[in-house]
Amino acid sequence: MKEPQVYLVGAGPGDPDLLTVKAQRLIMGAQTIVYDRLISKDILKLVPASCSQIYVGKSTNRHTLPQEEINKLLLNLAKSGQIVVRLKGGDPGIFGRVGEEADALALHNIPYEIVPGITAAQASASALGIALTHRDYAPKLTLISGHRMQNQPFALDESELIDPNQTLVIYMGVSTAEKLSTQLLEVGRDSDTPVALIERVSSPEQRVFLTTLDDLADTIERHQIKPPALIIVSKVIATCSRYSFESDVADIAAKKYG
Amino acid sequence: MDYLPIFLRLTDEPALVVGGGSVAARKVSLLQQANARVTVVSPELEDSLAQLKTNNEINHIQGQYQDDMVRQYRLVIAATDDAKVNQAVYEQAKAFNIPVNVVDQPALCSFIMPSIVDRSPVVLAISTGGSSPVLARMIRSRLEALIPASYGRLAALAQKYRSAIKVKFENVEHRRKFWESALEGKVSELVLSGRDKEAERVLQAAINNSDETILDEKGEVYLVGAGPGDPDLLTFRALRLMQRADVVLYDRLVSDEIVAMVRRDAEKIYVGKEKSNHAVPQRDINKLLVRLAQEGKRVLRLKGGDPFIFGRGGEEIKDLFHEGISFQVVPGVTAAAGCAAYAGIPLTHREFSQSVSFVTGHLKDGTFNLNWSLLSQPNQTVVIYMGLTGLEIISQKLIEHGVSHDMPAALIQQGTTRNQRVITATLSTLHNKVKAEDVVAPTLVIIGEVVTLQDQLKWFDPDESSGIAIGNALG
Repeated sequence: MKEPQVYLVGAGPGDPDLLTVKAQRLIMGAQTIVYDRLISKDILKLVPASCSQIYVGKSTNRHTLPQEEINKLLLNLAKSGQIVVRLKGGDPGIFGRVGEEADALALHNIPYEIVPGITAAQASASALGIALTHRDYAPKLTLISGHRMQNQPFALDESELIDPNQTLVIYMGVSTAEKLSTQLLEVGRDSDTPVALIERVSSPEQRVFLTTLDDLADTIERHQIKPPALIIVSKVIATCSRYSFESDVADIAAKKYG
Repeated sequence: MDYLPIFLRLTDEPALVVGGGSVAARKVSLLQQANARVTVVSPELEDSLAQLKTNNEINHIQGQYQDDMVRQYRLVIAATDDAKVNQAVYEQAKAFNIPVNVVDQPALCSFIMPSIVDRSPVVLAISTGGSSPVLARMIRSRLEALIPASYGRLAALAQKYRSAIKVKFENVEHRRKFWESALEGKVSELVLSGRDKEAERVLQAAINNSDETILDEKGEVYLVGAGPGDPDLLTFRALRLMQRADVVLYDRLVSDEIVAMVRRDAEKIYVGKEKSNHAVPQRDINKLLVRLAQEGKRVLRLKGGDPFIFGRGGEEIKDLFHEGISFQVVPGVTAAAGCAAYAGIPLTHREFSQSVSFVTGHLKDGTFNLNWSLLSQPNQTVVIYMGLTGLEIISQKLIEHGVSHDMPAALIQQGTTRNQRVITATLSTLHNKVKAEDVVAPTLVIIGEVVTLQDQLKWFDPDESSGIAIGNALG
């Protein structure tokens, strides 16, 4: 029986306190760590001094390494006998492209494991006291990626957005937020639907904002909100908003849906 | 003791690293964390060092090491694969009384580099004197697990109020008591859960009231996600709160293994929910949480998966909020992520699924208030929590609303545990296939094209004696 050589590991939202026991153990036993922009400094501090660290994210003189190159890198490292930990922000199966990396490894008979992590939506919800599901207001939780709105073939399907009885969480959605709110309003969502914005969740620099659908783009502009940030659109925010926010929006939202 | 442990102040001091490879790069990074001004001498630089050079974060002398180069530096590290250069660096540094370390050559070191647990300003250094780096790593790993990541911020907060507290509590004994209460009690817990501002307010209030015990009086509630089943998937925050609790309320979805990890003398209350037969009704659980906290207890509400994804955590904190009881919510790996990872099914995928929806298989009043047509979209994954009993109706409804009857679907039993089983079929056949097997809750159903990847990507097979992964090429 062969031991795993590559671990595709969810590092959670950034706070090392929210790493799983398994993830931490694997990081500390790795010979090579492959990581990208979403991995926090605090988590990288756990990497043993003897372990090589390979950054595959964006830097000043390079774009993010293309996925095919990352797959090749993992293969080559594994073939050279290294124990490799591929660290991914959040959960590897949720917008983490774990399928493509695992596929490349499986095709070459490289034993691997996939380790789930806390996804950003959960960390944001916990930090704000916002339940992601609610028996009446949100029996459904949908996670979508804002990147899709940039290229036509992946444009958001109206049906994904129209259901008012769901919590909608948009990952990587800051740059396309205006399109999102326009689209949501077009399909008939209320303009005062509460929206929460969470920038750099679970880091000491975390910032949170509460707004409404029609004020979403302005809020981003006004507060200069930058990626990584998460957008949560949900009536449930109203029931919880007064725990975390002191604002008129919270009061209005609470009156309407709370 | 062969080496004296000391902490060296290197801020703005010149340090020299001889060598430009990946080992040198790691040493450079360490020196930079200590704010040293780093010079690298080497004919070539590997990528990350070249990047630092471009950003003017290091000084680079391009070329071979020359005699007496070490001279104007406070600290020298050699990381080359040239034995002659290493020897020369060592001897010349020694001659000038400059501390020197040649990587992996204890005989050529006047100081050695410890393993580090960094919670700046708290820093732990571990050395086995070169006798066993593996042992050092094991010790470090234990300490990393033992010391919360946010101890650094806690120490910084303590530093900030140190003199104020010294003034306020002149009596040494009172001062000690105050610090113990702050660093073990509420202030510490607030910092550890990321609520630094609140921690500071509590600390300030306690200082103002000259009260050395006020910090730890009131009860509080921790709503904690215990993850999908494998105790290895607990977070460190969850583990810590499990050790802090006076009383724990848990339900059916939390495994015995995990309950056994809660502080041994904590009172344990089972409030488990059987489907359609709630052992303790939700509103009684809410009331119980409030009452126990009001009695001054630290109450741990342990939930399978994540408290805010079909965990009814929202209802529980509502009461706590209205009663003014302090609480914190700790996310856990949700069943969808855990089961999908251990089954080898990516929930999203560039080709097959650009979004994922979570719904639950049983809702209040025994009916589904789901909008079927909105669930029946191509290019998305649908995950049904607790989907076993409703599976037949759900499949039927989805097919009625246009989902292809041969849409791939999987049921995962007790995902991530030794009892994990994965049954794959299509939307129209899954129900009967599951019926034929003896399936035990909890279960999770995944519907979508991504399920086809399972055959290729599965790696966890608990039937194999050790549960070790095998990436299987083409079955």
